[in-house]
Amino acid sequence: MNSNKPAYNNRLGLKGWVYAGKYTFERYLYLGHRLTGMGLIAYMLLHIIETANRMRGVEAWEELMGLFASWPFKIIEYLLFAAAVFHALNGVRLLMTELGFFLGKPKEPVYPYSSSIKRHRPLTYIIMALAGLIIILGGSSLFFP
Amino acid sequence: MRETRLWSWHLLVIPIIIVLLGAHFAVMHYAPVFYGVSVEKAREFETMIERGKSITQFVLYILLLAAALYHGLYGLRGIIRELPMSPALGKIVDMSIIGLGLFIFAFGTYVTWWTFSFKIGG
Repeated sequence: MNSNKPAYNNRLGLKGWVYAGKYTFERYLYLGHRLTGMGLIAYMLLHIIETANRMRGVEAWEELMGLFASWPFKIIEYLLFAAAVFHALNGVRLLMTELGFFLGKPKEPVYPYSSSIKRHRPLTYIIMALAGLIIILGGSSLFFP
Repeated sequence: MRETRLWSWHLLVIPIIIVLLGAHFAVMHYAPVFYGVSVEKAREFETMIERGKSITQFVLYILLLAAALYHGLYGLRGIIRELPMSPALGKIVDMSIIGLGLFIFAFGTYVTWWTFSFKIGG
Protein backbone atom coordinates (compact mmCIF):
# COMPACT_ATOMS: atom_id res chain seq x y z
CA MET A 1 0.00 0.00 0.00
CA ASN A 2 1.30 3.43 -0.91
CA SER A 3 1.72 5.33 2.39
CA ASN A 4 1.73 8.68 0.55
CA LYS A 5 -1.92 8.21 -0.45
CA PRO A 6 -4.41 9.96 1.83
CA ALA A 7 -6.31 7.42 3.92
CA TYR A 8 -9.61 9.15 3.17
CA ASN A 9 -10.51 10.25 -0.31
CA ASN A 10 -12.57 13.43 -0.01
CA ARG A 11 -14.37 12.57 -3.24
CA LEU A 12 -17.06 15.26 -3.17
CA GLY A 13 -14.64 18.03 -2.21
CA LEU A 14 -16.25 21.42 -1.64
CA LYS A 15 -19.58 20.29 -3.15
CA GLY A 16 -19.98 17.95 -0.22
CA TRP A 17 -20.11 20.96 2.10
CA VAL A 18 -23.52 21.92 0.73
CA TYR A 19 -25.20 18.64 -0.11
CA ALA A 20 -24.33 14.98 -0.04
CA GLY A 21 -27.67 13.44 0.82
CA LYS A 22 -29.97 14.17 3.72
CA TYR A 23 -28.19 16.77 5.81
CA THR A 24 -29.60 17.80 9.18
CA PHE A 25 -30.03 21.32 10.58
CA GLU A 26 -26.76 20.93 12.52
CA ARG A 27 -24.92 20.10 9.30
CA TYR A 28 -25.97 23.42 7.82
CA LEU A 29 -24.91 25.17 11.03
CA TYR A 30 -21.55 23.48 10.54
CA LEU A 31 -21.40 24.90 7.01
CA GLY A 32 -22.34 28.35 8.35
CA HIS A 33 -19.68 28.01 11.03
CA ARG A 34 -17.02 27.30 8.43
CA LEU A 35 -18.07 30.09 6.08
CA THR A 36 -18.32 32.69 8.85
CA GLY A 37 -15.02 31.46 10.29
CA MET A 38 -13.26 31.93 6.96
CA GLY A 39 -14.88 35.34 6.53
CA LEU A 40 -13.82 36.43 10.01
CA ILE A 41 -10.20 35.32 9.62
CA ALA A 42 -9.99 37.06 6.22
CA TYR A 43 -11.45 40.22 7.75
CA MET A 44 -9.13 40.01 10.75
CA LEU A 45 -6.05 39.94 8.53
CA LEU A 46 -7.35 42.93 6.56
CA HIS A 47 -8.38 44.71 9.76
CA ILE A 48 -4.86 44.51 11.19
CA ILE A 49 -3.39 45.91 7.98
CA GLU A 50 -6.09 48.59 7.68
CA THR A 51 -5.78 49.83 11.28
CA ALA A 52 -2.02 50.14 10.76
CA ASN A 53 -3.00 53.17 8.70
CA ARG A 54 -2.74 55.18 11.95
CA MET A 55 1.03 55.17 11.46
CA ARG A 56 0.55 57.37 8.38
CA GLY A 57 -0.79 60.16 10.58
CA VAL A 58 -4.00 61.92 11.63
CA GLU A 59 -5.21 62.83 8.11
CA ALA A 60 -4.85 59.29 6.78
CA TRP A 61 -6.61 57.90 9.84
CA GLU A 62 -9.51 60.36 9.73
CA GLU A 63 -9.93 59.77 6.00
CA LEU A 64 -10.17 56.02 6.60
CA MET A 65 -12.64 56.46 9.47
CA GLY A 66 -14.72 58.75 7.24
CA LEU A 67 -14.88 55.94 4.69
CA PHE A 68 -15.98 53.47 7.37
CA ALA A 69 -18.77 55.83 8.43
CA SER A 70 -20.36 55.54 4.97
CA TRP A 71 -23.41 53.29 4.45
CA PRO A 72 -21.78 50.50 2.43
CA PHE A 73 -19.17 50.06 5.17
CA LYS A 74 -21.83 50.21 7.89
CA ILE A 75 -23.59 47.32 6.20
CA ILE A 76 -20.32 45.38 5.92
CA GLU A 77 -19.65 46.13 9.59
CA TYR A 78 -23.09 44.78 10.47
CA LEU A 79 -22.57 41.61 8.42
CA LEU A 80 -19.28 41.17 10.23
CA PHE A 81 -21.02 41.59 13.58
CA ALA A 82 -23.71 39.07 12.57
CA ALA A 83 -21.06 36.59 11.42
CA ALA A 84 -19.14 37.00 14.69
CA VAL A 85 -22.28 36.49 16.81
CA PHE A 86 -23.37 33.42 14.83
CA HIS A 87 -19.87 31.93 14.88
CA ALA A 88 -19.42 32.59 18.63
CA LEU A 89 -22.78 31.19 19.73
CA ASN A 90 -22.63 28.18 17.43
CA GLY A 91 -19.08 27.68 18.73
CA VAL A 92 -20.41 27.62 22.30
CA ARG A 93 -22.90 24.93 21.20
CA LEU A 94 -20.10 22.92 19.57
CA LEU A 95 -17.96 23.31 22.68
CA MET A 96 -20.78 21.98 24.86
CA THR A 97 -21.23 19.06 22.47
CA GLU A 98 -17.48 18.39 22.48
CA LEU A 99 -17.51 18.31 26.28
CA GLY A 100 -20.56 16.02 26.33
CA PHE A 101 -23.14 18.42 27.77
CA PHE A 102 -26.84 18.24 26.81
CA LEU A 103 -26.42 15.00 24.90
CA GLY A 104 -28.28 12.82 27.37
CA LYS A 105 -27.16 9.50 28.78
CA PRO A 106 -26.28 6.64 26.43
CA LYS A 107 -29.31 4.41 25.80
CA GLU A 108 -30.07 1.07 24.20
CA PRO A 109 -30.74 1.60 20.48
CA VAL A 110 -34.45 0.76 20.58
CA TYR A 111 -36.78 1.89 17.77
CA PRO A 112 -37.86 4.73 17.46
CA TYR A 113 -34.26 5.79 17.93
CA SER A 114 -33.43 8.83 20.00
CA SER A 115 -30.08 10.10 18.82
CA SER A 116 -27.88 12.46 20.80
CA ILE A 117 -28.40 15.02 18.03
CA LYS A 118 -32.16 14.95 18.62
CA ARG A 119 -31.69 15.28 22.38
CA HIS A 120 -29.34 18.19 21.76
CA ARG A 121 -31.68 19.93 19.32
CA PRO A 122 -33.72 22.04 21.80
CA LEU A 123 -30.44 23.63 22.92
CA THR A 124 -29.54 24.22 19.27
CA TYR A 125 -32.84 26.05 18.70
CA ILE A 126 -32.42 28.13 21.87
CA ILE A 127 -28.87 29.14 20.96
CA MET A 128 -29.82 30.03 17.39
CA ALA A 129 -32.82 32.06 18.61
CA LEU A 130 -30.47 33.90 20.98
CA ALA A 131 -28.03 34.54 18.12
CA GLY A 132 -30.90 35.90 15.99
CA LEU A 133 -32.03 38.18 18.80
CA ILE A 134 -28.53 39.58 19.40
CA ILE A 135 -28.06 40.11 15.65
CA ILE A 136 -31.34 42.04 15.43
CA LEU A 137 -30.58 44.11 18.55
CA GLY A 138 -27.04 44.78 17.33
CA GLY A 139 -28.40 45.97 14.00
CA SER A 140 -30.90 48.31 15.62
CA SER A 141 -28.15 49.88 17.77
CA LEU A 142 -25.80 50.22 14.82
CA PHE A 143 -28.23 51.72 12.34
CA PHE A 144 -30.50 53.62 14.74
CA PRO A 145 -28.25 54.78 17.60
CA MET B 1 -0.85 13.70 20.93
CA ARG B 2 0.42 16.77 19.12
CA GLU B 3 -2.87 17.18 17.24
CA THR B 4 -4.84 16.75 20.47
CA ARG B 5 -2.76 19.47 22.09
CA LEU B 6 -3.26 21.84 19.15
CA TRP B 7 -7.02 21.14 19.16
CA SER B 8 -7.21 21.71 22.93
CA TRP B 9 -5.56 25.11 22.50
CA HIS B 10 -8.06 25.88 19.73
CA LEU B 11 -10.84 25.38 22.31
CA LEU B 12 -9.07 26.94 25.28
CA VAL B 13 -8.62 30.31 23.57
CA ILE B 14 -12.39 30.61 22.87
CA PRO B 15 -13.30 32.26 26.23
CA ILE B 16 -10.44 34.77 25.75
CA ILE B 17 -11.72 35.69 22.28
CA ILE B 18 -15.36 35.96 23.38
CA VAL B 19 -14.53 38.31 26.27
CA LEU B 20 -11.92 40.45 24.51
CA LEU B 21 -13.65 40.63 21.13
CA GLY B 22 -16.88 41.50 22.95
CA ALA B 23 -15.02 44.34 24.70
CA HIS B 24 -13.51 45.44 21.37
CA PHE B 25 -16.98 45.56 19.78
CA ALA B 26 -18.32 47.49 22.77
CA VAL B 27 -15.55 50.10 22.59
CA MET B 28 -15.26 50.53 18.82
CA HIS B 29 -18.63 49.65 17.34
CA TYR B 30 -21.17 50.09 20.14
CA ALA B 31 -19.66 53.03 22.03
CA PRO B 32 -23.04 54.90 22.15
CA VAL B 33 -24.68 51.91 23.87
CA PHE B 34 -21.92 51.07 26.36
CA TYR B 35 -20.10 54.38 26.93
CA GLY B 36 -22.52 57.07 25.84
CA VAL B 37 -19.98 58.29 23.28
CA SER B 38 -20.59 58.49 19.51
CA VAL B 39 -18.85 55.97 17.27
CA GLU B 40 -17.14 58.88 15.47
CA LYS B 41 -15.72 60.14 18.79
CA ALA B 42 -14.60 56.63 19.78
CA ARG B 43 -12.69 56.35 16.50
CA GLU B 44 -11.03 59.77 16.52
CA PHE B 45 -7.26 59.70 16.23
CA GLU B 46 -6.70 61.35 19.65
CA THR B 47 -9.20 59.05 21.40
CA MET B 48 -7.65 55.98 19.79
CA ILE B 49 -4.13 57.07 20.80
CA GLU B 50 -5.31 57.92 24.32
CA ARG B 51 -6.83 54.44 24.69
CA GLY B 52 -3.76 52.80 23.18
CA LYS B 53 -1.49 54.30 25.83
CA SER B 54 -3.06 52.16 28.53
CA ILE B 55 -0.84 49.25 29.52
CA THR B 56 -3.96 47.14 30.17
CA GLN B 57 -5.23 47.73 26.65
CA PHE B 58 -1.76 47.04 25.23
CA VAL B 59 -1.56 43.65 26.99
CA LEU B 60 -5.17 42.71 26.23
CA TYR B 61 -4.84 43.59 22.55
CA ILE B 62 -1.72 41.43 22.18
CA LEU B 63 -3.56 38.62 23.95
CA LEU B 64 -6.60 39.01 21.65
CA LEU B 65 -4.33 39.13 18.61
CA ALA B 66 -2.54 35.92 19.62
CA ALA B 67 -5.73 34.08 20.62
CA ALA B 68 -7.76 35.11 17.56
CA LEU B 69 -4.92 34.42 15.13
CA TYR B 70 -4.29 31.00 16.63
CA HIS B 71 -7.99 30.08 16.67
CA GLY B 72 -8.65 31.37 13.16
CA LEU B 73 -5.55 30.03 11.47
CA TYR B 74 -5.81 26.64 13.15
CA GLY B 75 -9.42 26.44 11.90
CA LEU B 76 -8.32 27.45 8.40
CA ARG B 77 -5.58 24.85 8.47
CA GLY B 78 -8.15 22.19 9.39
CA ILE B 79 -10.35 23.15 6.44
CA ILE B 80 -7.45 23.16 3.97
CA ARG B 81 -5.91 19.95 5.28
CA GLU B 82 -9.23 18.19 4.84
CA LEU B 83 -8.83 18.46 1.08
CA PRO B 84 -7.01 15.60 -0.64
CA MET B 85 -3.28 16.39 -0.65
CA SER B 86 0.05 14.65 -0.33
CA PRO B 87 1.87 14.73 3.04
CA ALA B 88 4.51 17.01 1.47
CA LEU B 89 1.86 19.51 0.39
CA GLY B 90 0.28 19.22 3.83
CA LYS B 91 3.62 20.22 5.37
CA ILE B 92 3.84 23.21 3.03
CA VAL B 93 0.31 24.28 4.08
CA ASP B 94 1.26 23.97 7.76
CA MET B 95 4.46 25.98 7.31
CA SER B 96 2.69 28.67 5.26
CA ILE B 97 0.01 29.09 7.91
CA ILE B 98 2.58 29.28 10.71
CA GLY B 99 4.57 31.83 8.68
CA LEU B 100 1.49 33.94 7.95
CA GLY B 101 0.41 33.79 11.60
CA LEU B 102 3.84 34.85 12.86
CA PHE B 103 4.06 37.68 10.32
CA ILE B 104 0.61 39.07 11.17
CA PHE B 105 1.28 38.69 14.89
CA ALA B 106 4.58 40.56 14.59
CA PHE B 107 2.96 43.30 12.49
CA GLY B 108 -0.06 43.65 14.81
CA THR B 109 2.23 43.78 17.84
CA TYR B 110 4.34 46.47 16.17
CA VAL B 111 1.23 48.60 15.43
CA THR B 112 0.00 48.18 19.02
CA TRP B 113 3.45 49.09 20.35
CA TRP B 114 3.57 52.12 18.01
CA THR B 115 0.25 53.33 19.47
CA PHE B 116 1.36 52.62 23.03
CA SER B 117 4.59 54.60 22.64
CA PHE B 118 3.15 57.44 20.50
CA LYS B 119 3.97 60.89 21.86
CA ILE B 120 1.05 63.29 21.48
CA GLY B 121 2.16 66.60 19.99
CA GLY B 122 5.37 65.07 18.52
